[in-house]
Amino acid sequence: MSSLDFQQLVPAYIQSFEAYYPSLPDQDLMVTYGVDHLHRLNNNENALGPPPEVAEIVDAFPPKAVPVYPNGDCHYLRQKLADRFNKNAKQFLVGNGSCEVIGSVIKAFCEEGDNIITADKTFAVYEWVAEFSGFEARLIPLKDLGFDHRAMLDAMDERTKVLFVCNPNNPTGTYWDKETMDEFLDEVGNRAIVVIDEAYFEYVDKDDYPDGMELMERYPNVIVFRTFSKMYALAALRIGYLCGADDVVDLVRRTHIVYSVNTLAQSAAVAALSNDRPFIEATRAMVCDAKKLILATCDSLGLEYICGEGNYLMVKVPMSDTLMYRKLMKKGVMVRTMTGFRFPNWIRVSLVQQPVMEIFCQALTEVIEGR
Amino acid sequence: MQKNDQSILLRLFAETRFIPLVQNMVEQGSLAFGLEQAKTLRLTMAAEEIVSHLIETAAGVEINLSLSARRWCVVADFSFVANPSDLWAMNLVAKENVGAEKSLDHLGLMLASRMADGFSVRLEGKTVHLELRQDHAYPSIESQSIESGVFKGKLAILENPEPALIKEACALVVNTYPTYLTHQAFFTPGKVVDMVAEGDLSLVICMDEIGAIAGLISWRSPSEKSVSFSGPYVFAGNGDVAELLESHLLNYVSRTKAVSLFSDLATEDMTTQNYESLGHLDFMQADDQSMELGVWFRHLREDMGGAVWTHPSVREFLEKAYDRLVLMRTVRDVESAGESLPENSVFSARLRPELREVILTPMVVGANVDESVKRHVDCLIKDGYQNIFFNLDLAYGWQASMGGVLLDSGFVPKILLPHGGTSDVVVFQHV
Repeated sequence: MSSLDFQQLVPAYIQSFEAYYPSLPDQDLMVTYGVDHLHRLNNNENALGPPPEVAEIVDAFPPKAVPVYPNGDCHYLRQKLADRFNKNAKQFLVGNGSCEVIGSVIKAFCEEGDNIITADKTFAVYEWVAEFSGFEARLIPLKDLGFDHRAMLDAMDERTKVLFVCNPNNPTGTYWDKETMDEFLDEVGNRAIVVIDEAYFEYVDKDDYPDGMELMERYPNVIVFRTFSKMYALAALRIGYLCGADDVVDLVRRTHIVYSVNTLAQSAAVAALSNDRPFIEATRAMVCDAKKLILATCDSLGLEYICGEGNYLMVKVPMSDTLMYRKLMKKGVMVRTMTGFRFPNWIRVSLVQQPVMEIFCQALTEVIEGR
Repeated sequence: MQKNDQSILLRLFAETRFIPLVQNMVEQGSLAFGLEQAKTLRLTMAAEEIVSHLIETAAGVEINLSLSARRWCVVADFSFVANPSDLWAMNLVAKENVGAEKSLDHLGLMLASRMADGFSVRLEGKTVHLELRQDHAYPSIESQSIESGVFKGKLAILENPEPALIKEACALVVNTYPTYLTHQAFFTPGKVVDMVAEGDLSLVICMDEIGAIAGLISWRSPSEKSVSFSGPYVFAGNGDVAELLESHLLNYVSRTKAVSLFSDLATEDMTTQNYESLGHLDFMQADDQSMELGVWFRHLREDMGGAVWTHPSVREFLEKAYDRLVLMRTVRDVESAGESLPENSVFSARLRPELREVILTPMVVGANVDESVKRHVDCLIKDGYQNIFFNLDLAYGWQASMGGVLLDSGFVPKILLPHGGTSDVVVFQHV
């Protein structure tokens, strides 16, 4: 076979795109850093989980179910979600994590020359999916650590198809209140789709926090993303979903991959919703305690921090975040460096149980004090 | 229709009768590209030396000569597929064994390098590239004493400054900073404007509310995986200016392919906590004054560890460096175990005559490696090069194995560049 110049086959927007390489497996990292344990504080996982109802499902999962394809469009889960949110099952699409539904929405609405709008310092996957699909991602700088709704509106043009609002924002924890959200949606009108990513919805306990499920009743161009990875602690099973108006979801369904969510994930998600109130309360309490401990440590060390909603907070460290990462890894603690989020010298820390938070605070203190 | 790539191409063979053809192409092509007469003459003579060298050392080889223009320079690239046994001739100071313990010097590449503003030898697969660069003649500026400015109002970053601002900023750098911390191109502001327009240099300017220039930072991409910066240059105000400039750079590189950020020329205004010190290099300046240049690094990714090779004599240096930088590496020894090696060593070279600087890297490590290192050093020193560096990429055992020879030849390991090449790179300096 003659050699082929593959570069000629590749669109320019792929050639210029930098692939994302996730971390090595924990076992490999532990060997590399010479530690016998690793506290994962890098991915905003809920270390309290999964809920007991999910644990029962996982423990009882029958091997005989493994050769059988899952239900192709998560029939029972969509029904469960419809019951929970007082909607119909057709309004839901479930994906292999909410990253998959980001792709479905962009593919459904964007064509060559179109653009999406989001923030410069937010969950990066909106930007990535747009760019490696050949669409422009217009990134609006945060204002006071939150999405700048006025600047987002100003950036819109006739080729803007989707606006992504991460509410609350990962990583800053800021959110738009009901008034701001209404004002924004009123001005967008029916010119574009507005995705409200509520990955951390269940962590927010504020009266002025808007609920996307209610907003879509008034604004048919609203699509809400939620996930079972964060509050419900099903990250390993990869399952998230979107909800929108019937006709909008019908369009997205055309680009959405079926059979991508496995049987165990579907069953676990149904179980997670069956009695979630006590689990959510326990998780919120854990996060609250963790915040208090870390903020006290930051105050005593004189470190700046950003702490809003969600099960994470950010700390500004007096060195490069990548150096802090290496130093903490040597102490068995893994955090997220934030240079890639355009927050150089900041780390993001997941908020988990008290004993692990104490270990983190101790490790952080030792690094800052040069021990 | 105007084409972007207006390179002139010539395919020829290394034969004497084609020398006038090369001379004419380089001369007429350079003039057509707007290179000044005197500069054109020097580039033509350098090209003639290269062809003559190839006729002597690789007679008959098929050569592709490309002459291309960038806004600020003309580049002549000679490329050819080299027989491995002929690679020795690509040494800057090639020497041919002609039997009975006699040898013949071939200094054509060295001669060519003297006539060019830039010269490099590199190997891409089996293809050797000999590249000559001749810069346009730009008016240069000299340092003048000025008073430190005061900025007014809010500071902002200007991403694509217009040429007038670039030139003004260059003059401010030259007037404010010592020569050894000033990017060489800033002495010729017109060249900087052209380099920026060509994408060969990037810079942003910090402005105050009334349009006065408060600072500048510039950077380049020496490889796909690394970015090197000069600055930040601060002309007015306080640490806010440096922080704004550095934040802009960090945010820019954070989502590129770059893995490492290095300093080319780090000023005292640099925010040290943004970086990790890698140590310093000793530079001999044009006035024969020595100065220390600190080298700084910032990793742009979470480090996953890795394995590197080393000669046993360099292990202690590496272990100390890795320990200080908290970089997890498995360091494996490699040295000659009596295996047969190619007869000749071949080193690639990147020369910067204006700084009297040369960076050597191995292309082939042969049985004569120690003698070859010595010849290169002797010849380079004789030619006025006082800043001689040898870089070894620790991804390759065959490169790392040279460490012992370099130590025996008067080099010392000075700097470890994390992810500076395929893997980490050790910079040896001749002392």
